Amino acid sequence: MLLKLAWKNVWRNRLRSGIMVAAMVFGLLGVILMVGFMKAMTDNMLDNAIKYQTAHLQIHNPDFLVNEELEAWLPRADAMAREIRGISGVAGVTVRHVVDGMLASAASTRGVRINGILAEDESAVTSLEESLVDGKFLPEKGRNPIMVSKRSAKKLNLRIGSKVVLTFSDIEGEVSGAAFRVCGFFKTPSTGFDEGNVYVRRTDLAGYTGLNESHEIAIRLEDGDAVDAFRQRVEAVVGDSGIVRDWGEVQPILAAMQGTMGISNAIIIGVFVTALGFGIINIMLMSVFERTREFAMLMAVGMTGGKVLRLVVMESLMLGSVGSVLGLLASSLMIAITGTVGLPFGRMAEGLGAFGLDAVLYPEVTMATYLGTLGMLMVTSVLAALYPARQILKKRLSEALAERN
Amino acid sequence: MSIQIENLTKIYNPDTDFPVTAVNHVDLQVEQDEFVAVMGPSGSGKTTLLNMMGGIDRPCEGTVIIDGTDITQLTDKELIGFRRDSIGFIFQDFSLLPVLTALENVEFVMQLQGKSRTECEARAVELLNDVGLGDRLSNVPGKLSGGQQQRVAVARALAPKPKFVLADEPTANLDAQTTYGLLDIMQQLNEKEGTTFIFSTHDPRVIERARRVIVFEDGKVAEDRVARAQKPEDRTL
Repeated sequence: MLLKLAWKNVWRNRLRSGIMVAAMVFGLLGVILMVGFMKAMTDNMLDNAIKYQTAHLQIHNPDFLVNEELEAWLPRADAMAREIRGISGVAGVTVRHVVDGMLASAASTRGVRINGILAEDESAVTSLEESLVDGKFLPEKGRNPIMVSKRSAKKLNLRIGSKVVLTFSDIEGEVSGAAFRVCGFFKTPSTGFDEGNVYVRRTDLAGYTGLNESHEIAIRLEDGDAVDAFRQRVEAVVGDSGIVRDWGEVQPILAAMQGTMGISNAIIIGVFVTALGFGIINIMLMSVFERTREFAMLMAVGMTGGKVLRLVVMESLMLGSVGSVLGLLASSLMIAITGTVGLPFGRMAEGLGAFGLDAVLYPEVTMATYLGTLGMLMVTSVLAALYPARQILKKRLSEALAERN
Repeated sequence: MSIQIENLTKIYNPDTDFPVTAVNHVDLQVEQDEFVAVMGPSGSGKTTLLNMMGGIDRPCEGTVIIDGTDITQLTDKELIGFRRDSIGFIFQDFSLLPVLTALENVEFVMQLQGKSRTECEARAVELLNDVGLGDRLSNVPGKLSGGQQQRVAVARALAPKPKFVLADEPTANLDAQTTYGLLDIMQQLNEKEGTTFIFSTHDPRVIERARRVIVFEDGKVAEDRVARAQKPEDRTL
C-alpha cells in the first residue's frame, strides 16, 4: 500500500511532476549527447593518430628523441623489424628513414619531415594508402616519386607529375637535395600532419642522405588494447638498441585527453545530477509542505517516522526513476541515431582538421556511462528526499495537525 | 477500558513572559462504552485535552492512564504503536488520503498494524457497509460529499478496533442532516463495537446526543454531567 500511495502521490500534481520529468529528460538528452560527442571526438582523434601517425608502438634511438638528427639512426632496424613481424598478434611493421628538410616548388617552399618508407610495409601499418585522393601510392618503378598532401599541393601549386626539390643535410653534414616528381596526393584528417609530412621511397632517400640505415620502426597490432603486453615482447627483441614507446608516449596530449575523459565526463554528469538533485529537493519540499497535515494525520493514526521517511524517499525515487529512465531511453535513442548517421560538421570540418578530427563524428556512449548515470540519479533521488522528509519529521505532531494548508 | 486523567496540565511557552495554560490541573475519568462530549468555547483547551488523551501531545504535568498504562511515560515509538492499536481519530476536516479510495483509506490504518490484506479488506468493507457507503468503496474522497467523507473517517477510526475514538469537532463542516446521519452511525457503532467515543465540540446537535457532557472553560472542567441522550427517532431538524 505504501508503494501504491507513493506512486499516486507522485502524480497528484501531474503538471509539477511532469515538468520535473521533462527537465530530467531534456537535461539528460543534452548531457548524454555531450558525453557521447566528447567520447567520439577523443576516440576519433586517437584512432586517427594511431591510424596515420603513431601506430601502436614506435622504436627509436634514444638520441633521436632528444634531437631528431640523421646521425641518431637505429641499429639493426631491419633485423629487428623482421623479428617483430614474427610475433603473433603483430599486424604490420614499417621501417622509416626520417630526415627534416625543405620542400620547394616553383611557387613556394616549406619545411617538412621527409619520410622514407617501403610502400608495402607502410600500408600494413598506417592508412596512408587509403588516404590517397589523387595519383598513385609510391610506385616501385619511376625516378624519385614523392607523395605530398593535398593541402601542401594546393599551397605549393602542385599537380600530379609536378617536379619538386627536397633539400636536407646528408650524413656528412653537407646540404644535399634532389628533384622528386609528385606521384600522389594524400589527405588525412589532420591538417597539421598533412602540411608537415611528405613520403618518398626509403631507398631513394637513403641514397641522397648517404646513410643506409633507418630511424624509426612503427608497429601496428591486431588488438589495440594489448599494447602493454606486446610492448614487453617488443622490448625483449629491441634490447639496448633502441627505446620502445607506445602511442601514449608518442602523443602524450592525446593520452592525457583519453585518460581524463572519464573524469571530465563524471564531472559533467555529476554537476548535472547535482543540479537535478536540487530540482527534486525543491519539488519534494513543495510536495511535503503542502501535505504537512496529511503526514501528521498518518503519524497520528500510527505511521512511524521510518515509514514516513520511506514514503517520501519512495516518492522521490519514483519521480527520479521515471525521469531517469525516460531521459536515458531518449538519450540512447538519440545516440543510436547520431551514432549511425553521424554528426556532420560541414564548414567547421576544416577547423576540426587542426585537431586531427574527421568531418563527421559518431557519438558513442558506453553502457557503463548509462548505468553510472542511472545509479547517480537514483542515489541523488534518495538523498534529495532526506531533507524534505526531515523537515516533516521534526515538526511537532500537535502543531502539524493544527496547520491549515 | 478506562481512561484516568490526573492533574493534567499543559502550558504553552512556559519559559517566556507570556505562558499560556491550555489545560490546568484536570482530573477526569472516562469508562468503556461512554459517548462523551467535551464542550466549550474556542480556546478553552478542548483540543489540547484530546491531543494529550490521544498521545499526540505531551503534558507538562500529570498523567493519562489508559487501561493501566500511563501513556505520558511511553517513548515516542511506543506512543506511535499505542495510538495505532488503541486510539481512533476523527478530524474536523476528515483528513482522508485523497489519492486512495474509500476502501483503501480504511484498509491503510489496518495495514499499519500488520494485518493481512484479506483481513483488512473484509473489515473495511464491513465498516463501510455499516456507515452506509457499501456502494462507494472505490470512490476517492474527491468524489464523495463532506458527510460521506466523514463517514469514511469514522470507519477508518474504528478499523483498527481501538479502545476509544477521539473526534475533534467532527461535525463542524457538516450540515444539519448530515450531522444527524453521522451521529446516528457513531451511536450505532458505539453500541455495536462497544467503542468509547469522546468528542470535542460546541455543536449543540452533538451535545444533545451525548450521554455525558464535560464543559471545559479556561483549561478546567467547569461542569461534568450525565445527559439524557436523545435517540435518533427523537431528533428534530
